[in-house]
Amino acid sequence: MRYSSLIAIVFALMLSARGIEAQAPAAKSGDAFAATIANGKRVFEATGCVACHGAQGQGTTLAPQIAPPPMQLAAVVAYVRQPTGKMPPVPAATASDQQLADVYAFLQSAAPASTGESLKGNAENGKRLFVAYGCYECHGRQGAGASTGARIGPPAISLMAVLRYVRTPTGQMPPYTAKVVSDQDLTDIYTYLKSFPPPQPAANIPLLNQ
Amino acid sequence: MVRKSKRDSVNRRDFLRAAAAGTAALVVSPAAANASSPQPARSAGAPPLLKAPPDSPAAAEVMTVDRPGSDFMVDVLKTLDFEYLCANPGNTFRSLHESLINYGGNKAPEFITCCHEESSVAMGHGYAKIEGKPLLVCVHGTVGLQHASMAIYDAFCDRVPVYIILGNFGDAAERFGQVDWTHSAQDPAAMIRDFVKWDDRPVSLQGFSESAVRAYKIATTPPMMPVALVADHELQEYAVSDGANLSVPKLTMTSPPVGDSGAVAEVARLLVAAENPVLVTDRVARTPAGLASLIELAEALQAPVVDRNGRMNFPTRHPLNHTERGGAAIANADVIAGLELTDFWSTVNSVHGQVNPTTRPATKPGAKLVSITANDLFMKSNYQDFQRYAPVDISIGADAEATLPSLIEAVKRQITDDRKRMFADRGAKLATAHQQVMQAQREAATSGWDASPISTARMSAEIWAQIKDEDWSLVSNCQFVSRWPLRLWDFNKHYHYIGTEGGYGVGYGAPASVGAALANRKHGRLTVSIQNDGDLMFAPGVLWTAAHHRIPLLIVMHNNRAYHQELMQVQIMANRHNRGITNTSIGSVLVDPPIDYSKLAQGLGLHAEGPISDPKDLAPAIRRAIEVVKRGDPALIDVLTQPR
Repeated sequence: MRYSSLIAIVFALMLSARGIEAQAPAAKSGDAFAATIANGKRVFEATGCVACHGAQGQGTTLAPQIAPPPMQLAAVVAYVRQPTGKMPPVPAATASDQQLADVYAFLQSAAPASTGESLKGNAENGKRLFVAYGCYECHGRQGAGASTGARIGPPAISLMAVLRYVRTPTGQMPPYTAKVVSDQDLTDIYTYLKSFPPPQPAANIPLLNQ
Repeated sequence: MVRKSKRDSVNRRDFLRAAAAGTAALVVSPAAANASSPQPARSAGAPPLLKAPPDSPAAAEVMTVDRPGSDFMVDVLKTLDFEYLCANPGNTFRSLHESLINYGGNKAPEFITCCHEESSVAMGHGYAKIEGKPLLVCVHGTVGLQHASMAIYDAFCDRVPVYIILGNFGDAAERFGQVDWTHSAQDPAAMIRDFVKWDDRPVSLQGFSESAVRAYKIATTPPMMPVALVADHELQEYAVSDGANLSVPKLTMTSPPVGDSGAVAEVARLLVAAENPVLVTDRVARTPAGLASLIELAEALQAPVVDRNGRMNFPTRHPLNHTERGGAAIANADVIAGLELTDFWSTVNSVHGQVNPTTRPATKPGAKLVSITANDLFMKSNYQDFQRYAPVDISIGADAEATLPSLIEAVKRQITDDRKRMFADRGAKLATAHQQVMQAQREAATSGWDASPISTARMSAEIWAQIKDEDWSLVSNCQFVSRWPLRLWDFNKHYHYIGTEGGYGVGYGAPASVGAALANRKHGRLTVSIQNDGDLMFAPGVLWTAAHHRIPLLIVMHNNRAYHQELMQVQIMANRHNRGITNTSIGSVLVDPPIDYSKLAQGLGLHAEGPISDPKDLAPAIRRAIEVVKRGDPALIDVLTQPR
């Protein structure tokens, strides 16, 4: 079965399990779920959240990971209206409470992979495809990231989030349609990237403490 | 080439007068030139306008010239205090060439042999950004200028002075062969007029003298740009007439334009009253004083600096350097002051989408925008380097570095005790945020730390480990290695960084770094360049120039085996067209055969090692290369790297 046909069902399960408060997507139909998530993704991009938190809320050097959201929706809304630190405020004129709820649903749908995620990909083939499909050009040959693309090795988001993202990416990331790369190929690439251990802390590398 | 005849001891003024008279005669009486036609009657006593050709060999030809015009040109150029002349030889300036090395003693300026005119100009570009003044470049007529043009454009876009003399055979009657004609132009500087600040074609030696001094003055007044002066062959080669009354005017440098005091006071008021002011810098610091002034302003306000790194503006480890969180700082700002900011519009707006991109403000509603730049004082039409129009609230047309002292004074006058306390609180928060961001950079550098090909973060950290205790100068653009040096190293002196190409013309990197190293040589600095492979392949002969003239420079190759920027661009198009990327490497990669930069450099006279693909091999190789550089020679390490 194609992964894309599973996405709506899985998202519905994820969202209902987490029990979103206001405007609960769990009360919506499958199509409504998809619309909510799609709208959340659009708002997430349009309000510039992606610039610091990454396209899937996975976090960057500028801001922390926010997928899945670390707090309840009401707390998120309160925080973005009056943030602390370097986070710029998001006034209601920029994103309404309803839109923030959609963003919340989107971020839940883009939750990072759990350590126990079951994969059926082929890492060796993924390594080959990673070069063949040009992923290395922006992300480096081990997915270590660069100014041209985020670190993706090991991936910070779930396979399903990756599958969705590469079809409709944000920023300068080019879209990879199913015609160009299959879900199975992406699964192999994902498996390859998962094979890399997390990098060691900078504190353990003398050259980065000079 | 050898010219078949040479007139000497001809007074240039007399020569031109005679030529003009002859032309006039031909215009008014073309039949006179036809020997078969009856000669028109002349009034008694009128001298003949045309002389009959001699029917017997001329009297013995005088074959030497004692006082060529080019000697006087050297006298003029020596008053401008050029240290070096960068040139590839060309017969359109052969007389000047000879005068410089013999009459001028090959000192001030000293001839630097270049293998390509693009290298000559780009060396001048890099040199000026270290030394703060131009060197001299001589360029051969037409073909030489065509070679030089991209580098001139880069310097123009980067607002850097380069002083160019163009050779030319101006007088058609003085061209004695096919080559002279093909290397001559009616208006030699026309090709580059759109991207030089000023050009001239003087027709007398005195005119050359005055234009030469004027050109220097124009080139070095902000906004600085290249200038070009045509030196026609006749002006160079004919003797200076006896009794010629030639002189060199005094050079008085124009003081840089300073902002209007009222506008500066208003900017100070906005900055002091702001809750979250941000200073965005690009090409501010022309001198060490500029760097010091910017630190003083930022500290007086306790305002973050977001550096676009067109120059070495602000120390990377200063707690107010917030470049690496620039987006957040700008998004949260209520006053944004752009100082010599090349692209203000893109600083305060963002672009979204790919096929049909949309834009939106990257700032809070109501944020006040202030611009101080000399770019507003001089702009050309054709080439579009001036960027998208930015509707700012206060626009000061002035040199930012020269305006900083008065702005600092105005700011300090307006700071009350209450604001001081508020600034101190803000500064403490900013210092914490700076530390967090710098730590994030170090953590990001750990990704792929042991990878092969070597990550650009690892390579940058390995270089830093070897140079951090030296008096170093990084003279290459950091953008193509994910800006890792700027994210990891401690930049704090004005010569620690020189910015970018200006016009993003590939081929700038190698010669500009050699030019910058030439400027650093007398200061004893350890000059370092992280050299892109595709860039070096445009004109690698500049490595020989570095070896020949013993210009000490450590070159570390960022060898990713591709014109990588374009590889990514083609991939984007292939994806957009939904055709897969199987063929996207065609035309963009440098792999079959792989280029051996070590052998290339060795063949051009450099110490060289590599290719190195194991990160553990980097440190010892860099140490060996630095030993060579410290002895006064260039050295190259070829490193196989990750793409960016």
